[in-house]
Amino acid sequence: MFRITANRMRTKSRQSIFFIEKHYLLLLAPLLIFVAVIALYPLFFSFYISFFKYRLTDPNQTRTFLGLANYVNAFHDKVVLTAIRNTLVFVAGTVGIELMLGLGLALLFAGEGRGMRTLRSWLIIPMALPSLVVGLVWKSLYNVDFGVIPYYLKQLGVEMGRGPLGEIKLAMPAVILIDIWQWTPLVMIIFLAGLKSLPHDPYEAARVDGASRWQSFWHITLPLLKPTILIVLLLRTMQGFKVFDIIYATTGGGPGTATTVLNYHIYTVGMVFFKMGYAAALANILLVIVAILAILYIIVLERQQL
Amino acid sequence: MKRNNYLLSILIIAALLVTLLAACGAPAAPTAETPKEEAPAAQPTEKPAEAPKEAEKPFAGAELTLASMTDQYVTAFQYLIPKFEEETGIKITLDELGYVDLYSKLTADFVAHTGNYDLMTVDIVWSGEYAQNKYTLPLDDFMARDKEQLALDDIMPVAWTLGEWEGKHWAYPLAGYANVLNYRKDVFAEAGMEPPKTQEELLEYAQKLTKPDEDFYGIALLGAKGPAVAQDYMVFVQQHGSSILDENGNVAINTPKNVEVLEFFGELFKYAPPGATDYWWDQRETAFRSGKVAMMEGWSIARAGYENPEISSVVGKVDIALAPVAEGMEPKYGFGGWGIGINADSKNAEAAWEFIKWLSSPDIQKEWIRHDGAPIRRSTLEDPELNKEYPWFPVLLESFENGDGDYRPRIPQYSIIQDALGTTVNAYLVGEMSAQEALDQAQAQVEEALK
Amino acid sequence: MRISKLESIIRGILIFLAVLFFMFPIFWLLTTAFKFGRDAFAIPPKWIFFDFTLKNFQDIWANTKTPRYLLNSIIVSAGATTLSLLLGVPAGYAIARSKSPLINTSSYFFLLLLMIPPIAMLIPFYLVMRDLHLLGSYAALITLDTIFDAAFVVWMMRSYFQDVPQEMEEAALVDGASPLQAFIKIALPLSVPGVVASALYCIIFSWNDFLFALMLTSPKTKTIPLGIMASFSSVEISWGKMAAMSLIAIIPALIIALFLNRYFVQGLTMGSAKG
Repeated sequence: MFRITANRMRTKSRQSIFFIEKHYLLLLAPLLIFVAVIALYPLFFSFYISFFKYRLTDPNQTRTFLGLANYVNAFHDKVVLTAIRNTLVFVAGTVGIELMLGLGLALLFAGEGRGMRTLRSWLIIPMALPSLVVGLVWKSLYNVDFGVIPYYLKQLGVEMGRGPLGEIKLAMPAVILIDIWQWTPLVMIIFLAGLKSLPHDPYEAARVDGASRWQSFWHITLPLLKPTILIVLLLRTMQGFKVFDIIYATTGGGPGTATTVLNYHIYTVGMVFFKMGYAAALANILLVIVAILAILYIIVLERQQL
Repeated sequence: MKRNNYLLSILIIAALLVTLLAACGAPAAPTAETPKEEAPAAQPTEKPAEAPKEAEKPFAGAELTLASMTDQYVTAFQYLIPKFEEETGIKITLDELGYVDLYSKLTADFVAHTGNYDLMTVDIVWSGEYAQNKYTLPLDDFMARDKEQLALDDIMPVAWTLGEWEGKHWAYPLAGYANVLNYRKDVFAEAGMEPPKTQEELLEYAQKLTKPDEDFYGIALLGAKGPAVAQDYMVFVQQHGSSILDENGNVAINTPKNVEVLEFFGELFKYAPPGATDYWWDQRETAFRSGKVAMMEGWSIARAGYENPEISSVVGKVDIALAPVAEGMEPKYGFGGWGIGINADSKNAEAAWEFIKWLSSPDIQKEWIRHDGAPIRRSTLEDPELNKEYPWFPVLLESFENGDGDYRPRIPQYSIIQDALGTTVNAYLVGEMSAQEALDQAQAQVEEALK
Repeated sequence: MRISKLESIIRGILIFLAVLFFMFPIFWLLTTAFKFGRDAFAIPPKWIFFDFTLKNFQDIWANTKTPRYLLNSIIVSAGATTLSLLLGVPAGYAIARSKSPLINTSSYFFLLLLMIPPIAMLIPFYLVMRDLHLLGSYAALITLDTIFDAAFVVWMMRSYFQDVPQEMEEAALVDGASPLQAFIKIALPLSVPGVVASALYCIIFSWNDFLFALMLTSPKTKTIPLGIMASFSSVEISWGKMAAMSLIAIIPALIIALFLNRYFVQGLTMGSAKG
């Protein structure tokens, strides 16, 4: 389709492709300049310092060149490996469930009536709260001695032990639930936007052909939603890897290392121990992991789109 | 229809733009306060500074920023700061921060030399770190110069640990905390028991008083990963006559005695509410204040709060006693608290020092106490009026007199110890590893970090 | 396609469960804000109670700097959102429409920004702001937030514009309009739901942010999350105050979300009219 358009434009339009492209560049330029000016130094510094040993609080500010030592040590560091595993579990859990739940909610709450609109605005509230507050609220709700949730669960006969945040096996699911609570509404909104921009024609055609609603959904809606699904996957995955506030507010990475995700560990290494070099190396490792996933997503979903 | 919506979107963007411009126009908070007076940076002036008289306000117009931990004494700051401004014309902006945030923000301020904060509350355990890195100003010259005003002998000897390091003072005593045993006198009376005097009795009584079916437990403890459990464990180390350091001042965490103490600590958790392995300070307080536990060791500053019906369900049922020490041990009681320091990069050191002098003066100290502050002076603790309002002061006095402010080593590397213990002790409590493993790992972590 | 009665009922139940799940913590927050400290954790939980107080709200309005924090949060969020939209929407459009490989690759650069753990950027950014004497100003926080917000907007709008059919724009181009005009007159009006969703995200990201605000603000520019953390001291329980503050914190975000939500629907019905 693009080829046809290009041909048409070349023959009929008085404007050259170059001219058109220049305008696109113009639209893109402000952002590029802004980011280049502000973000490049921090980016390069972070990359550069990962090859050094550098304690921020060192009065002499010594930087010892270490080559790849930080990276090598990272892969021998038991906590780092646990953190990587925890991060993958967290991301898989949250993104997977939020994707399905969010789409479901979008379909459920897609109506145009005032009632629906009101309910939708209520559902936005969880993501309007600062993540920190969400963490604190759920920490109270989960509190095994005073919290509402264990209280009712105990009434139902469920053994709580040290509670959702205190038991090693329960902590990660509990934290995943918090994230789901906060961010599924966002997924819902993105899907709502996507659903509304779908064309009507294919559905008309399908109805004429006698397709059921489920078939319409599976064969028309889902494929057409691929770009939206990609956006949701991509962004929630990236956000998932960056999760911090909730962990900070609820478990601090505990019990033990049950909820220590890599981003939180980077914070501990960088802002509590001030080992900037090692923290930067860990951050780069995290970056690579996310990048690989992102590339995989894009390849799989964009190839299918064509 | 299209045009209306289009218009609306332009309006929104315009509104946002206006707000953006307002933001840029609003004066950005200056990173360094400019004093109206040229204040000397570190050395005090030759002439002894006199107490400001009514007509004389030498520092009027100076603006200071104080970073404070969100402990109970914040209310006292809020009450006293306007009074200070009235008397001296010095304006102080109070910034309240939680423990971890305070530490991060202060460190960032020091390391970047931005001098955002002139005054800050300094935790007792940060003394060595702040001294070694010269984050705060040594106050000894100020103290020598203004000796008469300060009534230094009146300050409890143990209180000097709030900022002293290797003979110099890097923060001035602000709020002294005694580690005391809070207990429910009604529960004990009913059971016909006296509060425990030894650690062994503590464990025994905790067990006796625990009734899980009635959701009532013997003792509340701090078990949460991080500074919370580290502090609590170290309290028990001290109470069993042991230490994290050996005789030469080297870190010796995994001694057999300490392993014993850790196992004792773990044993106590059996008689604590199930969530105790996750307790941060406020949750431990909640447990006690909502009447769920019979005993709780804690900082004395919380005592007054138990009589406040708005936050406490145990009004009138609480008493405090000296913290129990192990059988046969010479009594020594945990001491902690906060000092107040002057940023080495502050441009208003003299004005800041004025505040410290004013705040620690015996008269102001009475108001400090009355608004939820904690004592540092003997005269405050022995004051007859205050003793009527706070009848537990004699316990505090005795605790201070035999206080040990070093049971948590105030060495520069303290935060490393705190984090190592914070992680491993919690891991032991939740069953991830044995007591020996936990302390071995902590020791290894600290040694590795100190290399 | 008739909807069977059974399906209606199931639908109703699901909607009820969804609302219950997302709202009960909010309800908890609401009730706690009106409780005395000692009741916040009463067992069994008091959902309906008569012993309420307005003291928490009075306390935070009078004693703390909540109004100030609120204003600061609004300024930072509005600033970052505006800037991100201004920079990001055109960029997203350009990347979606352009056939130049260079421009397409630049989109991955923005993706990179979204993938970096913010902490890695924080300390060097802090030092840069220090050298520019911008620490503690609104500009510092707005700028850092914008970098991440705008990257999101670019990707969101890129995907959105890819979905929008190009026929009208092409027709305009053939007729001699410049791509800029095509963008402003045709594509932009069609993109409203996407812009709205992006704006919502930006507002909320900046509103939520804790770590950046912690390091880059001064007492004069502190935002709400910091204020809430401070009200929540480590020794004294201020759940009532924290709940009250959180409720006040939601109100502006709620108003904006409600407003955008209504407009969102308007934009949708307009979109479907085009057939």
